[in-house]
Formats: sequence, C-alpha cells, structure tokens
Amino acid sequence: MTDPKPSGQRKQLIKADSIWKFFGNVTVLKGVDLVLESGQIHALLGGNGAGKSTLMRIIAGLHGVDQGDLYINGQHANKLTPVLARQMGIHMVPQEPLLFPNLSIEENVLMNMKGNRVALHTRLVELAKEIGTNMDLQSPAGQLEVADQQMVEILRGLIRDAQILILDEPTSALTPREVKLLFDRMRALAAQGVGIFFISHKLNEIREIADIVSILRDGRVVMAGPPKSYTDAEIVRAMTKVEGGSENVLGERHQQTHHGKVVLEVDNLCGEGFANLSFSLHEGEILGLAGVVGSGRTEMAETIYGIRKAARGKVLIGGQDATHTDPQASLDLGLVYLPEDRQTSGLFVDAPLSWNASSLVLHREPSWLQLKQEEERFQKYVKELGIVCATSSQAVRTLSGGNQQKILLAKCLAAKPRVLILDEPTRGVDVAVRADIYSIIDDLANSGVAILMISSDHDEIQRLSHRVLTMAHGYPTGELEGDEITVDAIAQMSFGVSTEEAKAS
Amino acid sequence: MKSLGLFKRWEAVLALILVVEILFFGAINPAFLNVSTLLYSTSDFIHVGIVALALTLVIITGGIDLSIGAVMGLSAITLGLLWVAGVNIWVACFCALGAGAITGIINSVAIQVAQVNPLVITLGSSFLYSGASLVLSGLGGASGYEGISGFDDSFVELANLEVMGMPFPLVIFLIATVVFMVLLHRTRFGRYIYLIGQNPRATRYAGIPQFRTLTIAYALTGIMAALSGLVLASYFGSARSDFGSDALMPAITAVVLGGTSIYGGSGTILGTALAVLVVGYFQTGLQIIGVSSHIASALSGALLVVVVAMRSLSEIGRAYFQLWRVLNSTGKQKA
Amino acid sequence: MIRFLQNNREASVAIIIVMLLAILAISDPSYLKVETLLSIYSNSLTLFVLAIGATMVMATRGLDVSVGSIMGLAAAIAGVCMNDGLGIVPAIGIALFVGLLCGLFNGFMVAILRVPAIVATLGTLGFFRGCVHLTTGGSWIEGLPEAFKGLSHAWFLGLSPFAWLVLFLLAAAHIFLRYTAFGHAIFAVGDNREGARLLGIRVNTVQLTAYAINGILSALAGIIFAAQIGFIPNTAGNGMEMRAIASGVLGGVSLLGGTGTVIGAALGAFFMTAIDSVLVMLRFDAYWNDMIAGAILLIVLIGDGRIREAMAQSLRYQKYRKFLEPDEASINASAAHATKDAPVSGARVTGTDETAVAAHSKESRA
Repeated sequence: MTDPKPSGQRKQLIKADSIWKFFGNVTVLKGVDLVLESGQIHALLGGNGAGKSTLMRIIAGLHGVDQGDLYINGQHANKLTPVLARQMGIHMVPQEPLLFPNLSIEENVLMNMKGNRVALHTRLVELAKEIGTNMDLQSPAGQLEVADQQMVEILRGLIRDAQILILDEPTSALTPREVKLLFDRMRALAAQGVGIFFISHKLNEIREIADIVSILRDGRVVMAGPPKSYTDAEIVRAMTKVEGGSENVLGERHQQTHHGKVVLEVDNLCGEGFANLSFSLHEGEILGLAGVVGSGRTEMAETIYGIRKAARGKVLIGGQDATHTDPQASLDLGLVYLPEDRQTSGLFVDAPLSWNASSLVLHREPSWLQLKQEEERFQKYVKELGIVCATSSQAVRTLSGGNQQKILLAKCLAAKPRVLILDEPTRGVDVAVRADIYSIIDDLANSGVAILMISSDHDEIQRLSHRVLTMAHGYPTGELEGDEITVDAIAQMSFGVSTEEAKAS
Repeated sequence: MKSLGLFKRWEAVLALILVVEILFFGAINPAFLNVSTLLYSTSDFIHVGIVALALTLVIITGGIDLSIGAVMGLSAITLGLLWVAGVNIWVACFCALGAGAITGIINSVAIQVAQVNPLVITLGSSFLYSGASLVLSGLGGASGYEGISGFDDSFVELANLEVMGMPFPLVIFLIATVVFMVLLHRTRFGRYIYLIGQNPRATRYAGIPQFRTLTIAYALTGIMAALSGLVLASYFGSARSDFGSDALMPAITAVVLGGTSIYGGSGTILGTALAVLVVGYFQTGLQIIGVSSHIASALSGALLVVVVAMRSLSEIGRAYFQLWRVLNSTGKQKA
Repeated sequence: MIRFLQNNREASVAIIIVMLLAILAISDPSYLKVETLLSIYSNSLTLFVLAIGATMVMATRGLDVSVGSIMGLAAAIAGVCMNDGLGIVPAIGIALFVGLLCGLFNGFMVAILRVPAIVATLGTLGFFRGCVHLTTGGSWIEGLPEAFKGLSHAWFLGLSPFAWLVLFLLAAAHIFLRYTAFGHAIFAVGDNREGARLLGIRVNTVQLTAYAINGILSALAGIIFAAQIGFIPNTAGNGMEMRAIASGVLGGVSLLGGTGTVIGAALGAFFMTAIDSVLVMLRFDAYWNDMIAGAILLIVLIGDGRIREAMAQSLRYQKYRKFLEPDEASINASAAHATKDAPVSGARVTGTDETAVAAHSKESRA
C-alpha cells in the first residue's frame, strides 16, 4: 500500500462543503463535509439509510444539492446532471450495473463515445487485458454474470478517462481472486492520480485498500481518517450508534447441539451448479451453510425447494421422498424457502402487506378468499415480528428494507414450516432489524423448526448456527461443529481450504 | 390503504365523469336524459363492455389479447354455419362459446410454450382467427363480408328482449360485471391474477400455478369475446366475420381508462365497467347532439389521450410522493 | 444451423419467402420470372415503409398502433391539397409535415408524458382517424392528378419512382441504425432506458425522434398508397398498424426493444404481401389469405420461441455440465478435494490459489 502523500501536494478532486439534502420533510444529509484528493482511495462506510448512497448519487449528478456547496476540481458544481458529471470525469459503477443486455460488451462500453472506432477498440482491448478479464468483447452483455457486468461498468469508466471513480459495493459478487485483481487495478489507477470512492461493508477490504475511511451515520460524517488509526470496535460503534458495540445487540453465540428427529435428508444431491451434497437436518437445529457467492448454495436450496431440477441424488422431507417436487408440493411437505433476492423473487412489492403474508398458503385455503382470516394472520405477525407499518393494505414498496424483510419472513412463517431454508436472511437490513431477525430465528429453532441458513456473513453464521456446512465451487468442503465454529474456520473452508487445516487454524 | 384508496378514488372520478357527461349532453339535448334512451342506447356499445371485463383479467396478469375482435367474428360465423347446417340455435350458441374458449386456450398455451410476448402471439392469432372466420364464411357460401342471416326468431329477439325494464344485452353486461367482480376480488383465482401481474418470478417461488391461472384467464376472455359476438349476431340478426374488427381498440381503451395498468398488476372490474359506460355514452351523446359518428370516435380517442396523460402526470407526482414516504419511514425508524 | 437461424432472423424469413415462391413456381412455371417479384414488391411498398418506421419505434421498446391513421390522414391531406390546385410537391411536403407532427405528438406522449406506448397510440389511432373524416368531410377523394398517379408507374428497370425511393430509404435506414451513433442510441434506449440516460444519451430526444421518423414514414406510406390506387377512401390505412407490427416481429424485431434490423422487417413486410399475391396467383379463394398468413406467423413465432428456449437450455447445461454429468462430477469432486484446486472446466474459474487464500486469511484476522 502506498503511503498517503501530504495532502497539500494533492489536487482536491471533490470537496463537499456542508451538504444538506431533503426529500420532502425528511433530511437525508445533514451537513456532510468530504474531500477526495487525486490518487486517494476513499472508503465510505455506514448503515442503511446513513446517506452514503445519496451522497454518491449527488456527486454523480443524480440528485441535486439542497444546501451547501459541492466543488469538483475546484469548480462550483451544485447544478450537476448525470451527463455533466460524466463530462467532468466522474464515473459511478452502481451495484447493479446498467447494461444493454442485447448489445455486445464492446458496444456497451463504447456507447455514446465520440472518436475513431478502431482506435477505441484497440484501447478497449488493451484495457481489458490490463484489468485482467478474459471476456469475449463481442458477446452480448446479457449473458454475463454480475462480476463481469461490473467489469464492463469499470471499463466504461476507464476508457472515458474518469478522474473520479465511484464503486458502490463492487466486491459483493466477486471471488477473492477477482477482488485481488480489482484491488490491484484500483491501486494502479490511484497511482495515476485517479480518486476513488469505495463503498463497502467489509472492514477487512477497507483496511486493505483504503487510504481514508469516512463513516456516515444519520446523514453526518461521524468519523474520518486512515483506517489504521481505528480499531474494528471503534468503527462498528461509530456506525451503529448503539453504545457497547454490536456484539450485545446481535446476541451471544450458541453452544449446545441439538439431536431432535431428522426432518430433512439430502443424499448425494447433484444439480445445476453443485454436486455430491449430503447432509441431514434435525428438528430445532440451525445448520449454517457458508460459501462465497457462486459456490452453488442458492442453486442447491432452489433445487431442494423444487425451482430447479435435481440431476441425481435424493431429498427426503420428514422421511418422504421429495427429490422431484415443485414448490407447491414442497410447501405442503412443510419445506419453505426464503429467497435471496426479496425484491425480485420474494415479495410482491406493489401488493398490500397482507397479500404478501398469505401468498404461500392460498392454495391450502378454500377458493373463496378468507379476508378476515388473512387480516388476523397478518396482524399476528405484525405483533410477533415487530413490523412497523400503518395498515395491512399499504404496498410493500412503501416499507423500509428491514421491514420488507420481516414481511418476507412473515410470508414464510405463515406456511407453518417444519424445515425453513433462509437464503441471506439479513441482506440489506440495518443493525436493529438484524438483531430482531436473529432473535426470531432463535425462537423458531427453539420451537422445533429445522433451519438451514445460507449466508455470506460469517459472523452471522458463527453466531446463530449449531452446525456449519461449507461449500466451494459447488462441492462440499467440510462441516464444523461446536467449538470448531469460528469465523476464521468458516472463511477458510468457504474458500476451499481443507477441513483439517481450517479447524487447526 | 393508500393504493386501494387510490383505485377507489379513480372509480369515483370515472363515476363523476359519467354523471357530468350525461348531464352535459342532457343540457344540450334533453331527449338524452330520457331513461329509456339512456338504457337502450347502450345496445350500440355494450358488446365492447362484455369483452372488456374479461380482458381486464388478462391485462392485470401483464398480458394482452389482441385477438378478441377476431374471436367475436369467429363465434358469430360458427353460430351462423351451424345454424345453416341445421343445428339447434341454442346448441349452436353453446358451440360458439366453446370455440371462443378454445381460441383463448390456444393463445395461452402458445404464449407459455413459446415464452413469447403475449402482444406478439395474439397479434398472430388474431390474423389466424379472423382468417379462419373468413374461410368458414367462405366455405359456408356467404362469400366475403356478406354474412349469414335468417336466424331463429327467438334468438334475434333476445337482443331486444326487456328484462326488468332493461335491454337484455345490458343485463348480460351487468351480470357479467358482478360475476367478474366477485371472481377477481373475492376468489383465490382473482388473487393469483393480481400476483402474477405484479411479479411472475415471485409467483413461481410461491408455488402459484401460473400456467393454469393464465389459461383460465385467456379462456374466459375467449368465451366473453364469443358471447359478445353472439350478442351482436342477435342484435343485427345476422352473423358476419368482421363483427369484432372495430371492437378491439375500444375494449382496450375501456380497460385502460378504467384504471388498469397496461403493465399489469393493478386494475378493477368496476373501473372497466364504468369506463365502458363513460366512453359509450360519450360517443352516443356526441351523436345525439349532432356530431358525426366519425368525429365522435376521434373525440373518444382524444378523451383517452387526455385522461391517460393526466393520470400519467399524477403518477409521476405519486412516484415522488412514494419516494418521500420510504425515506420518511426510514427517517422515523432512526429517530 | 439452428444457431445460424437464431442469430440471423432475416435468413429464416428469407428462406420462408423462397419456399413460398418455389411453391408458386412449381405449381405454375409461367410465374417464374422477374416480373412476379417486381409486382409483389410494388404491392408491398406501403408495408415496407411502415415496417421501417415500426423497426425504429420497436427498437426503442415502443409501439405505434396509430400508423394506419397517420397514413390515412396524410393521404387525405395530400389529396385535398392537390385537388385544391396545389402542386404535387408542396402537397406531398405538407402531408409529410403533418405526418411529422402526428409522430411528434405520439413521441411527446410516450417520451415526455410517460404514457405507455400502446395506450398513447391507441388514443391517437382514433383521434387521427377522426381527423381524416374532418379533412375529407366524410367522402372519398377522387380525381387525383395523373402526374401524381404516375409516380407509382414503372419508370426505370421496371420499378416506379416510389419503388426506387423505398429501396433507397431501406438502405439509408439500415446504415442509419447500424453505423451511426444515433442509430446505436435508439437500440440502447430500447435495451436499457436508465442505463442509456446515465451514459449521457438524451433518451427523450431519441424516443421522440424515433416516433417522429415513424410519423413521416407513415405519411409517405399514405402518399404511396394514394398514388397506387388513384383515389383516397376514408378507410385508407385501416388495419395497417397490425400488419406493420407483424412484419417487424416476423423479421426478428423484438417488441421488448433493443434488437432487430430494418432488413428483417422489410423481408417480413415482403412476406406478408407475398402470401397474398401468391395465393391469388395460385387461384386460391381470397379468403384463405389471412388464415394462412396468421398460421405461418404463429408457427414462426412459436418456433422462434422454442429455439430460443432450447438455446437457453443448452447454454445452461453447458454452464453446469460438470455437475450434471455423473462421471465428471465425481472426478472433479475428488480432484477438488485432493489438490484443493478449482475444477478447470467451470464456467468461471474461482481462484483458490495459495495467494488468494493467504491474503484472505490475513484479512479475516485483521
């Protein structure tokens, strides 16, 4: 890592001076001060709704500044538009890249650029080589995976000679090797004088790559400085505002193991993206399933649930064969799956809350809608799960992310699961709701529900699981029990290190 | 509450437009306010309403059916051919409805097997069905657009039959409105229709039977289109293959004006029913005050454009409002 | 073969057209001459022009069902102007200008007011048709100048001036969409509106322009139509919107935007006309036309959908092959265990090389 030069010698690329932003009568940013210098990698950290996305969107010209001043390269730039921002060398790589799926990668990258096509093509090929990607530039962008899609976005920025890059959680879908390549590339760019904003939730990444970290909470920068000068605990405390750190909020780790009846048995299951998976799940047990994105975890869960077809192997739910079922049959056998992506697969975001809560059980009820029962059921979950909402008929879209996730949980619980597969149950929710969800999961297990919990958050797995299974590249890499369950061991095994080594470390 | 309240509000707006429009035309030509004029003038446009009710279901699922006009003609021709062949008129009616159901099922299966945009598939099938009715009428000897007439009197009189002081087609429309309201808003099938329209992917994850639900929706649309063709055949006393060619666009207009989103996911039967009356009386009213029918249809088009543009503008406003709501709720949680 | 057809939708339409013409030639060899092709082409001129416009609008993920009415309106206005003694050129100019205004109005509704395209143009379909009746007073326009009708008569190499114009337009539109930045922008807007906006493409302008061009082309179609049949009925252009969209769809233009070529749409238009002409030449009763055209259209669409599904399936199988095939799966599994190396046949090589792991264990301890 390069040592930050004295800031006097560096050019200020961006200077935010006490920026305020209001949406209606809600104040999202409350006087944010922020400076990005050339050659600097500036990490932004903060919980949901802390204002970091709004801030970045303001810098990218997507929102206007309500109060305060924004300077780009020393120029006053309060009246920024997306187009203007790009002309000033700002390039934002959103979490979900905005690609043209029918056009080729090259057309995607070069879209709306002026100049000699041939020269641009040569430069693009060079850049692609430098960045270490081996994508076929002529293939349609719609077939790319998220990681490659982000590469396309980054290429877009690079070929436009962006001076300021904004990377919004770029590593969430990358493998460690790709993360390393990305970081190498970021360092090289920084050495050329490019300033980079880097949004991430991963402390270790921030420590590795960032020169400066700014922590936002509730629309203010509450802490800023080189990451070295703070401990993890200090950073987490600054982010969460709850004094005493996050440990207590999220609860203590489980110790005891369960030996209830076996309710789910998976025997040598193979399917799309995974193979040779065997495990059994007991009543009241929380089995954590760890592995990086792309390790086949979600594919396996979807195969058990019946969304995807199993190629070989066997699934038994409560002793009954359920290898080749459809979701409805799985539901009737008591297996419920909480999908990873709540917006696209889990919820009907424009439908009333109560409709969502009952969407898994409609087929069990008479064909005449039981509206009163539906309302009662919904109110029950509002109380049990602590859902913050005005009425049962408001659309899910109007709720915050955390409450949406609780609606998704309510939907799954309404189906009275014996086996519950949770796929990233706390993705994109703030710390308070996360704690709520953890205690809900605990209560469920205590009441005898068998839970298979898929998560990329190793802390989460470590805190909740009685037993941990890890997968890498589609194959099981081991199992941890009791005291063997440490964040470190989980992490190593999810990256394919053998069980013995991981347990030893 | 808000989204539901908004639907209700839109229906109230439609009802208000309806009343204002009737009073307006009545003020210019008091003959328009005569109850029997009001009731019997519906016969000119109510066939559009009958099919629009079922089309509402399909559009809520995020689909569309461009073949309804063709199916109207096909059903009328089926009826005519069977009648000419000596089949009992009521049996023939039943067969025509069956033909309608089959067209709907073909649409649905083709859409889902090919996984192609419903707009495209039903565009193709509308050529097929209207072509089929031309062929049938050609084979039946009623070359070209002449049509088949000479139906049983009891059938022809149906359209002019008075039930509870109302013309029979209007009664069919009212009954169908109630049936579809119950179907859409009070049954599991109706709930599935909404859910599929809002998020087809999530319905798959929820184990909701998409194929069956969509097929029933399209089949119902086929049946209602066929029924609408029969009403026309009875009203005109003859069956022609081009019966429905002018009904497609008004039917879609009614559904959209009634507040159903063309992208699926929202809409009500009551809205469609009211919109049918609004558009229908608008046309009739213009003609009664002496505007030519062509100008009247131009103005109906203008009405759709204006109303939808206004709704679109208010929706843009609502989007901002919703964004504000979301941020508000997160803000509250923080506080 | 299947992949070729998939990637070159134009080719599959071309094959169907050739098959159709082959049937004609076999059943009656006297039709085996250039004149047959030329006559089908001149019959399809209006649809050609409409199909070019439809391609542009559909590429932006739009749809215009008002083209038939614009066509009628432009024809009526040109007719009225000519019969009022205005010259042919100014009359055509005015008609094209009216088409431009109609297109701009559609575009304004769709791009600026954000009204769904089908709804907006459904409204203008009725509105413009009413304007036709206003223009003509409800009667047909007859007695068009001979010089005007002459524009649709054979002139050079057996083709009329209009036929040459349409060929020229086709080439121009193809170059425009394929090789200009604005052409690319049209596809980009249809593929991903938000993405295009963020890349600095003026999406509203692009959409508006596509509808405006479509309006002008529809007007031109109306003028050609009037010149060809020599009079202007009130119903001129009725139902043409569906044929135009069907032509585009048949030629591989997606209603979901982002893909398609003008050549494909033109071939689709040629087919739609050819089927009518060929059936007449084969002395079929005219009433078979729509049904056969509809059946072929449906078969092509469903076949196309099935092919796409099959392709997606095989892509998916390729991607997951190592897990799905029994032998490889176990070999890879043991390999993965034994050497701690990622299976190399994977779609994505997810690195477990020593450096990455080492780097990570450092991270997690930090």
